[in-house]
Amino acid sequence: MNSTSNRFRRSQELFERAAKVIPGGIYGHAGPAIGLPGAFPYYADRAQGSHYWDVDGNEYIDYLCGYGPMILGHQHPEVEEAAARQQRDALCVNHPGPIMVDLAEYLVSLVEFSAWAVFGKNGSDMTTWAVQVAREHTKRRKVLKVAGAYHGMDPWCTPGHGGLLDEDRAHIHDFNWNDPESFDRLLKQFRGDIAGVIMTPFHHPVFQPSQMPAPGFWSHIETACRREGIVLILDDIRAGFRLDMRGSHKHFGFEPDLICFCKALANGHPLSAALGRKELRVAASKVFLTGSYWNSPPPMAAAMACLQIMKREDTVAALRRTGEMLMGGLVEAGKKYGYSMIASGPPAVPFLSFADDASLRRQQRFCAEVTRRGAIFHPHHNWFLSAAHTPQDIAATLRMADEAFAMIKEEGF
Amino acid sequence: MSQAPANPAVLSRLYLNAVLPCLTDLSRQDPAAREILGDLEASIVLQIVGGPAATVRLRQGQVACENGSSRAPSVILLFFNDRHLNAFFSGRTWAVPLPVWGGWRIELLSRFSKLAQLLDAVLNGKVPVLATAAGRRLHARLSLIVAVLGLRSLAQGDQAAQQTLRSLPRGLAAFSIEGEQGATIWFDHGSLDYAAGWGEPPRRPDVRITFADMNVAYSAMRDEIDTLAAVGRGQIKVEGLVPLADGLNVVMERLRVYLQPIAP
Repeated sequence: MNSTSNRFRRSQELFERAAKVIPGGIYGHAGPAIGLPGAFPYYADRAQGSHYWDVDGNEYIDYLCGYGPMILGHQHPEVEEAAARQQRDALCVNHPGPIMVDLAEYLVSLVEFSAWAVFGKNGSDMTTWAVQVAREHTKRRKVLKVAGAYHGMDPWCTPGHGGLLDEDRAHIHDFNWNDPESFDRLLKQFRGDIAGVIMTPFHHPVFQPSQMPAPGFWSHIETACRREGIVLILDDIRAGFRLDMRGSHKHFGFEPDLICFCKALANGHPLSAALGRKELRVAASKVFLTGSYWNSPPPMAAAMACLQIMKREDTVAALRRTGEMLMGGLVEAGKKYGYSMIASGPPAVPFLSFADDASLRRQQRFCAEVTRRGAIFHPHHNWFLSAAHTPQDIAATLRMADEAFAMIKEEGF
Repeated sequence: MSQAPANPAVLSRLYLNAVLPCLTDLSRQDPAAREILGDLEASIVLQIVGGPAATVRLRQGQVACENGSSRAPSVILLFFNDRHLNAFFSGRTWAVPLPVWGGWRIELLSRFSKLAQLLDAVLNGKVPVLATAAGRRLHARLSLIVAVLGLRSLAQGDQAAQQTLRSLPRGLAAFSIEGEQGATIWFDHGSLDYAAGWGEPPRRPDVRITFADMNVAYSAMRDEIDTLAAVGRGQIKVEGLVPLADGLNVVMERLRVYLQPIAP
């Protein structure tokens, strides 16, 4: 972090302390290295609705939403009350609570193809478990995934490099998004040994614009999986409940065998879920699944409240409208200054980039300037909208973006 | 990074194209190196039978290295194969090259041997070298040169490195140390033959990795610093195409398989 900056003095102090006792200072996706060191705050203090404040008191309109979970906005009163009420009864006890059954029933009723549900805490819990279920069900070894897709932090899929063995990915094979031929090549190469295909509903790699599925791509994958007896796993961790309450496959017109949810499921309370077809039920029962806090009822109560609010208020439609307003405005603002902008991904999970900026420098400079003005724009990771974002938020953001475009233009970016 | 074993052909190219060129910077930076060189004017070719060669030119206390063999060198040192050259560079006393030309230039060979020993001490961070600030500075500079120039040899021949490189965006990466003249080393992942060099790069880098000072560079080269925390503290700046920098860092880790302990 820039030592001359007073704007992040408290963040800087905390980071100096952290660097002594925490590897990386801040590790993982929230670490400074993947963001904008010196231009992003490092530590948050509080959050409310669509805004949050860093430890130095700087206020931001939040377009990361905790990297996805805050679909209704921070501190949503109904969700918080449901969780608090449940916590007054039990936080972490020896057995699951009735809410676990209620939530499983509710999710199964939402997601049409599913017959059962299980719960974990993080996305990785579910994607890794789903891969094991696919292997158990098919008695096969291979798993196909899209190159550059993120499915979590376990050795078979982590984007990190440390501590891995070649053997960790001996049976994991990559094909290219929107490239049926590269998928078919793997299908041919490993025919009879492919347990599962795991994919996100649209491609949202870091450092690149998101890519929507080309016409026919999903049906090609789905048809091949049905024909070959391969379990199709939808990793809906990031997009889940933002495109369709019934799972993002409904938005794109296909049907998986397993679906993994996390992020938006409980509006920030730690919970993930996997749902599957009845044919996978026996295999699912054989794959061990547990964790110290996995039966904790409050996040499940939060999820139940969150899901019901989203359904009641048609959050999906609201996010789409807000996202279209934001991204349309940004593209127009860019055009005014002669920039060709790419608004990629669905409006509810958008990403903005410059058309001719392979080195990402202009993107980084632009996002730094907008963030400095009070709306956090990540230059490398897709953004998230929440139901708490208001037209006033969008208008204020567009004003900040306009100023930022003007500034970077003046700087010659 | 992969645990696949080292490829002897890659290692020999690392010695010829990444380690040997460090003599240039060593002679510029280190008075001891210049003293060894004195007023020598000569050229030495290191040649692997049926394989690559490099020429070292000594002139007015400076060293220049180039790929390939030059015409009419003062000395030609012949190695029977990659393993022979690798054993020589790794200090095996039995691995003496065959002086097929100029073997009578005892004084020249003796000074070249001393220069090579000095380079070895600096790159390997021998105790007397690291005992002084000047020695640590040299160690960091030269380690950075080996690491970045070495990317080219790895890209051209090491399968594990090639696999990582295939997943990286194309572009030119430039590494430098703030306040250090002539310590910008670059690698072009966009060019057909994976060009690498030092000095100002041929075009604007797609990513710049800058170490705040020699101490940070020294620690980073020796894997003694938490680089993620260093980025957060502004001690290492990565501007531009971050995934290229991240991926090249992984490829550099392959150097450990080849050049332990002189790799970063």
